[in-house]
Amino acid sequence: MSELKEKLKAQIIEQLNLENLTPADIKNDMPLFGEELGLDSIDALEFIVLLEQNYGLKITNPSEGKDIFFSVDSLAAFIEKNIV
Amino acid sequence: MKVVATCSLFPEEIVLNGKKIESIPSNEVDWKKWVYSSLNIEYPKFHKMDSLAKLAFLGISVLEKEIDFSTYKDEEVGLIFANKYSSYYSDNKHFINYTQKNMVSPSDFVYTLPNILTGEIAIFKKWYGDNVFFILKKFDIEFFIEQAEFMFSKSIKACLCGWIESNENSEQAYLFLIENKEGIVLKDEILEELIIDKIN
Repeated sequence: MSELKEKLKAQIIEQLNLENLTPADIKNDMPLFGEELGLDSIDALEFIVLLEQNYGLKITNPSEGKDIFFSVDSLAAFIEKNIV
Repeated sequence: MKVVATCSLFPEEIVLNGKKIESIPSNEVDWKKWVYSSLNIEYPKFHKMDSLAKLAFLGISVLEKEIDFSTYKDEEVGLIFANKYSSYYSDNKHFINYTQKNMVSPSDFVYTLPNILTGEIAIFKKWYGDNVFFILKKFDIEFFIEQAEFMFSKSIKACLCGWIESNENSEQAYLFLIENKEGIVLKDEILEELIIDKIN
C-alpha cells in the first residue's frame, strides 16, 4: 500500500504539472483540494484521467469523486479495492 | 495616448523599455521556465499554463519591474491581445493526443482557445476590466489604437496590449502598456522600433 501511495504522488505531480512540489510535500492524509496544493476543477478531471489511464478504473458515479479524491490515502484505498 | 512601458520576450533575450535585461542561456531546454525562475515569482499555476499563457504571464511580470499596476483600480486595466496563429500549437497538441495517442488531457483541452490567456492574466492580477483577443493577419498598431480608444471611452484608464505567438517555429511576446494621455503620438514612441519592425 505504501508503495502505491508513493507511486500515486509521483503520478499526481507529473499529471497535474505540479513542478513546484516533490512527493515528500504531499502527505498521505493531506486534503488534495485544500489550500496547500491549490488544485482546481481541471485538476479533478485530470484525476479521473489518471485513474483510467494508469489503473483502468472509471468513476461511474461522479458524486463519489469528492471522497475518492480527498487524499492520497483515499485514492490508494479506492485503487486497492477496485483494481483487478 | 502614451506608451508607458514596453517589453519583449524571445528565447534569446528579454528586453524592457528598449534595454536588454536578460540574456537567456542558449542551452536552456525550457527558456520560459528559466525566465520564470529568474523573476523569483511564486505562482504554481504557471507550470500548468500553455505556452501562450506562459508568455503573457512572463511579459506582465517583466513589465512589473517598471510599472506599479496597483496604481490602477482593478476595473481600470483593459487587456487587448492578438496574434496570427491563434492557439494552434495547443489545438494540435490536443488533436494529436486525442486521435493518435488515445489520450485526453483536460488541462490541454482548456487551452484550445487563445483568449484563455487574457483570463489567466485577469485571474493572476485580479483585474475586472474588459479583455479581448483578436486573430489578425499581421501586427497592426492602428487596430490596437482603435480598440484602446474604445476602451478608454469607457472606464478603462490603461490598456495592456500584447502580440503573443507560440508555434513550432517561433515563440515571441511583445507587450506594451498605454495610457490615455494626450499630446503624445503613439507611433512616434519606442513601440514602432521595438515591435512593428520585428513582427512584420
